[in-house]
Amino acid sequence: MLIWFLPVFLVFLMVGLPVFFGLLAAPGILLYLNGQERDITLLYRNVYNGMDSFPLMAIPFFMLAGELMNRGGITIRLVEFSQALMGHLRGGLAQVNILSSILFAGLSGSAVADTSALGSMLVPAMEKEGYTRRYAAAITAASSVIGPIIPPSGIMIIYAYVMGESVAALFLAGIVPGILVGVGLMLMVRATADHYDLPAAKRVVLTGTEMGPVEWWVSFALVRINIALLIWAFIPISEEATGGVAFGWLIGALFVAHGLFIGLRRVVGHDFRMVCKRAMVPLQTPILILGGILAGVFTPTEAAAIAVAYALLVGFFILRSLKMSDLPSILSNAGLTSAVVLLLVGAAMAFKTVVSLSHAPETLAAWILTLSENPLILLFLINLLLFIVGMFLDAGPAIIILGPILAPIFTDIGVDPIHFAIIMSVNLTVGLATPPMGLVLFVAAAVSREKVETIAKAILPFLAIEIAVIFLITYVPAISMTIPRLTGFAN
Amino acid sequence: MQAAISALSLLGALNGWILRIGRAIGVVAVALMVVAILIQVFFRYVLNNALPWPDEAARFCMLWMTGLMAPSAFRAGGFVAIDMVVAALPRMIGGLLSLFLLFISALVLYVAIQIGWSEVTGIGGRFATASLYVPTAIDFSEWYRVPRSWMMYSLFIGVCLLFWVNIELILRTLVSFAGRGDDLPPIEGAVRAD
Repeated sequence: MLIWFLPVFLVFLMVGLPVFFGLLAAPGILLYLNGQERDITLLYRNVYNGMDSFPLMAIPFFMLAGELMNRGGITIRLVEFSQALMGHLRGGLAQVNILSSILFAGLSGSAVADTSALGSMLVPAMEKEGYTRRYAAAITAASSVIGPIIPPSGIMIIYAYVMGESVAALFLAGIVPGILVGVGLMLMVRATADHYDLPAAKRVVLTGTEMGPVEWWVSFALVRINIALLIWAFIPISEEATGGVAFGWLIGALFVAHGLFIGLRRVVGHDFRMVCKRAMVPLQTPILILGGILAGVFTPTEAAAIAVAYALLVGFFILRSLKMSDLPSILSNAGLTSAVVLLLVGAAMAFKTVVSLSHAPETLAAWILTLSENPLILLFLINLLLFIVGMFLDAGPAIIILGPILAPIFTDIGVDPIHFAIIMSVNLTVGLATPPMGLVLFVAAAVSREKVETIAKAILPFLAIEIAVIFLITYVPAISMTIPRLTGFAN
Repeated sequence: MQAAISALSLLGALNGWILRIGRAIGVVAVALMVVAILIQVFFRYVLNNALPWPDEAARFCMLWMTGLMAPSAFRAGGFVAIDMVVAALPRMIGGLLSLFLLFISALVLYVAIQIGWSEVTGIGGRFATASLYVPTAIDFSEWYRVPRSWMMYSLFIGVCLLFWVNIELILRTLVSFAGRGDDLPPIEGAVRAD
């Protein structure tokens, strides 16, 4: 009888009950009808215990860091940097849009923030260069889904918490799929560039810019330290070597890195160098987050707090683009968005309890296995289901609802839990850009002042690419699993 | 009807004021969370001395941030829902459905308030937190160990505020139903969870 909470929940959801209330109402009603009133108290306790979590704190922190970076004016720097790298190609600004999304993903992890920040800047610029508004809006929306796939990613933190997986493993597993979506979109832009006669753009639009001394020196130091650490990581220092020897090698690596950049100075022009330098400070954020987690220095939550501290440092002291008066609204925005997500995660933990009590996964698994016992076919079917769900529901709530039900089934038939998490996350994230309920479509429409229907039509070729990437990720586990395995975060 | 609209405007203003205070405390809580975790990182990695309290203090702040800010999001329509059906239905039927959904939400919140009260006043709330203390003397010579109920109140207050907002939303829907929705003052701010 208890398993009837699932259809009841679906009905509630379809008629428009907020997911938070649906997650509690459906199991609550069925528990009551089943004579298990005491377990309703358990639901409440699990909402509270679900929210009372240290790993979950990474969500408000990453949201806050993204908001601080956004307000701190880093978007323009990333766009200029992307343009310096890819603007000269056919369909230059469309390529810039995609590359900016990839870079932005390392800072924000939100598709909506990506669409509104990049869209408001790039859609008018693309129109000026001769792109149609619908094309510009469509590529902005399509590329914004990279945001929650490349770390840091809010939905991956939620998945990891609800399903008891490692946040670091999911972050690492999302890197290649995110880049793959970006590369796929770039190829599509190149393939359609002749058809639409998409022009190349100027590579460097900013000439004669100079930087403030603080930003100049910070960029100077950061870029050399990063390259030196990279070189140092590949130096085979024996385990018996003293700290002094290791430090000596690091200093040597720093000199090599400096030499490399002195050499580069002769090859690239001043303006190009300035554009790259201006992007170095914001681009340090993902390096700080992932580097800290990978090196075992920080937990993901601590890395998120460090990202906030870094964003504050950048905004107030390096770029000096933030004022104290900006802080209350930034904190308020981050708090409001996180509060909704945290409440949802709490409800999901209560929902998960009833999922276990009702033996829903076992019943569903038995039914699914009657369809086919071939994991490849089942993965195809599940992708279809996730895609349809993604059309109507945001990625976070969909993961909260479906994760506890679907993940155990697929883990039992031999799919790696991390691999399944990525399939689910990427598929549902792409759903953010699919009609009729794709959230980023609405944001793109608002930013570009183009109709949602028109953007929905223009986005179809890009969606086709994203669907192809979903299937590639599904059937080639190495795409998502290689980095976590190489770094020891997955078996 | 005019009296109902005036009363509802007053309720709306009161809710707006209460939630503004909630958001202000929430903002402070977010800031304190960041500070607590940065202190934790600094002490653990720089001073090699892991402090016991920042983790719990940050969770304390996060719970209160959630409890005090979620009602603002709910009031502004920021709770995730598939609202296609309501929008697609004729105005009258759509309004009735909205009302039905708000009543279900109210039922959930009513039950949550009852359970929440018994939880904070029950045995679970009487335990003390593991590491949180507040000074009870000006010279910091006496400290009081924070009971768990202080943390548990966050969700209880949260559901109370949600219930209160829900009542306002029900009344607004009823007024809209009577064709006077345009006479109501708009709800400030619109948020969406990503």
